[in-house]
Amino acid sequence: MRYFVTIRGKTVSVEVGTGEVRVGDETVSVDLAGIRGTDMSTLLMDGTSYRVVARRDGGCWVVDVGGCHEVAEVIDERTAVIREMTGDPGPSNGARTIRAPMPGLVVRVEVDEADRVEPGQGLVIIEAMKMENELRAEASAWVERIHVSRGDAVEKGQLLIDLAPLSDA
Amino acid sequence: MFEALLIANRGEIAVRIIRACRELGVRSIAVFSEADRLAPHVLEADEAYPIGAAPAAESYLNADRVLDVAARAKAQAIHPGYGFLSEQAAFARAVTDAGFVFVGPSAETIATMGNKTEARRRMQEVGVRVVPGVTEPAGNPEEAGAMAEDVGYPVLLKAVAGGGGKGMRVVEAPKDLAKSFAAAQREAQAAFGDGTIYLERFLERPRHIEIQLLGDSHGNLVHLGERECSIQRRHQKLVEEAPSSVLTPALRESMAAMALKAARAVGYVGAGTVEFLLEGEDFYFLEMNARLQVEHPVTEMVTGIDLVQWQIRLACGESLDFDQDDVALTGHAIECRITSEDPRRGFLPSTGHISYLELPSGPGVRWDGGIRAGYEIGLHYDPLLGKLIVHAASRADAIRRMARALDELVVTGVDTGVPFHRRLMLEPDFVNGDLSIRFVEEHPQLLDGPADEDLRAAFVAVALLEHDHRQHRQIPRVGDNGANTLSAWQQAGWPWRQE
Repeated sequence: MRYFVTIRGKTVSVEVGTGEVRVGDETVSVDLAGIRGTDMSTLLMDGTSYRVVARRDGGCWVVDVGGCHEVAEVIDERTAVIREMTGDPGPSNGARTIRAPMPGLVVRVEVDEADRVEPGQGLVIIEAMKMENELRAEASAWVERIHVSRGDAVEKGQLLIDLAPLSDA
Repeated sequence: MFEALLIANRGEIAVRIIRACRELGVRSIAVFSEADRLAPHVLEADEAYPIGAAPAAESYLNADRVLDVAARAKAQAIHPGYGFLSEQAAFARAVTDAGFVFVGPSAETIATMGNKTEARRRMQEVGVRVVPGVTEPAGNPEEAGAMAEDVGYPVLLKAVAGGGGKGMRVVEAPKDLAKSFAAAQREAQAAFGDGTIYLERFLERPRHIEIQLLGDSHGNLVHLGERECSIQRRHQKLVEEAPSSVLTPALRESMAAMALKAARAVGYVGAGTVEFLLEGEDFYFLEMNARLQVEHPVTEMVTGIDLVQWQIRLACGESLDFDQDDVALTGHAIECRITSEDPRRGFLPSTGHISYLELPSGPGVRWDGGIRAGYEIGLHYDPLLGKLIVHAASRADAIRRMARALDELVVTGVDTGVPFHRRLMLEPDFVNGDLSIRFVEEHPQLLDGPADEDLRAAFVAVALLEHDHRQHRQIPRVGDNGANTLSAWQQAGWPWRQE
C-alpha cells in the first residue's frame, strides 16, 4: 500500500510492504512496535532506533520529531490521484489568514481593513502568559477583514484577520 | 530548625523547596490555585491547601490567603520561591508582622533592590560600576527621548519594578522610541502593577555573568562563584552554566569583590545574586536579585552546597559553617530551561496537556521539574516546565552529557524548547564558548524545525501507523484497544526463526 505523507509542506511517498518500506526510491527495512497504553512506538529503520510519539488527531497524525510537534497528513494513492484529477489542493490553505497561535488576549489591532501591509509589518498584538506577542504579515497583502478587536479573548487557532493578495484587489 | 514551612509558590520551584524540607525534616505546606489541584507540588507536599481561582492575582499573589493558610496550618516560616510574592517588600513585611519567618532578605533590602533606579543609585554611591544610564524614571516618551539622546542609542527601556524580561524593549533609533515606550509601559503595568520605565545604554555584545552570594545574620557573607547566563531570548534566560568559560581567577575575584560590596551595602542576609554585564574585561552592575534564582542548581552542582537548604537554615538564624576558603568549584554544570514555548514561532507559549513524559537519568543528570504526564499546561502561569541540569568534569564533557540527556527527554502534548537546546549543544560557537546575550539572535538556525534524519523517520513512522490504523479499523479484534503492540517481525516471525 502506498501513502503520501505531508509534513511542513513537504510530501514523501512511502510504500508499505512487509518488514520493509520504499521511501521515495529507496528501500529500507523497518519494524514498528507500539507500547501499550501510550502514544509511544519504537521504530527500527535499517537497524537505527527511533522513538516515535504520535497520536491521531482529526484525521491527521500529530507526531513528535526530535522534540518538534508536527502535524502529518496522510493520504493513500487513490486519494492522491483523485486530488490530482480534480485540482483540489487539499485542506492546507492557511497563508491568507492570520490565526491566534495560542490562547490569549488581543492587546491591540495595529491595522485597519483595506490597509496595505508589507512583510514583517505588525498586525495584531496578543498577550499570553503576561508577554506581548506581535503577529506580523509574511508577505505584502491587503487587509480584507478583521475579526477581533482590542480586549477580545481568543482561542488557539481562532481566525483574527483575513488577508488578500495584492493581485486580488 | 523550623517544624513546618509554607511554600508560597507552585511549579518546579515549589517541588524543589519541598525536597529541601524533606531532607531537613521540616513539614512542607503547599498552597494551590483551582488550576493546580493535580500539580506535582500538591502531590509532593505533606499538606496542601487551596487559596483561590486560577489567575495568579486571585491565588499565588493573594498575600492574605497565603498568611491565612500559614496560620491555620501552623507554619513557622514562609518560603516565597521566585516570582509571585518573592520580591514584594510589603509581603515580606506582612509575613514578619504576622509572626512568621520570611525565608529571604529583609523587607528593606527587597525594597531597595526591587526598585531598579534606587538600586543603581545605591550601588553608584558605594563605588559599584553600573551600565551607563539614568537613575531617574522617564515619565513619558518625550522625557525618555531626551534621556536616550544623553545616554546614546541603542537604549534599553526597563521596568522600574521589573524582572524576567517583562516591560523591556530595545530601541535602536529615535523613531522607534514612542511605540516601544508604550509597549514597555503596558507590559510593566500588567506584570507588576507599576508601569514606571527607566532606560540605560544597550551594550553591543556583553555576556551575562552573575555572582551567587550567601550571607548569615551573624555578619558572614561568602560568594559561591559565578553563573554565565548569556543564552537568552527576549531577556529571559534559556541556558545557564557554571563556571563561565571566560572568567580568569583574577576576573572572578574582582567581580565577586564587587558583588560582596553591593551586598554589604544593603546588609544582605540569605541567598542573593548580583547580576553583571561583562564586555571584554569591563563589567557593570545590572541588578541584585534578593531571592533564589531559577538557575541556582548549576551553582549547587559545582560547589556541592545546597542553596535551598541553606536559605532555610539561614532564615532559622544558623551561621554558615564554612568560609570563603572552603568554597571550591568542581567540574562544570549546565542547565537548560525546558519551557512550553515553540522556538520556531519566536518562543510563543504553547498550551495543552502533557500526554507523555520520559525523563532523562544516568550519570551526572538532574531534573528539577514541575510537571507530570496527564498534567494540563494552561496560560495562567510561567511556561517553565522544568530544568534539566548536568554536571561533568569539564565544559566539553558537560555539553556532551547535556546533548545525551536532551535526547532522552521526551515531552509530548505541548511544544517545548527541546529542539532548540539540542541544536545549541551541537553549535560550534556555543561549544567554543563564544557567547554573548545576542547569541540567539545571531544564530537563528537554532530555531529551525527538526533535522532531516528525524523527519525521514517521521515520514516512515506515520505511514506505518496509518497503515496499521486502517488494518485495525477494517478488522476489529476482541480485547484490542487499537494500540499496536505486535511489531511486523513478531507477527511474521522473527527473522532468525525464518532461516
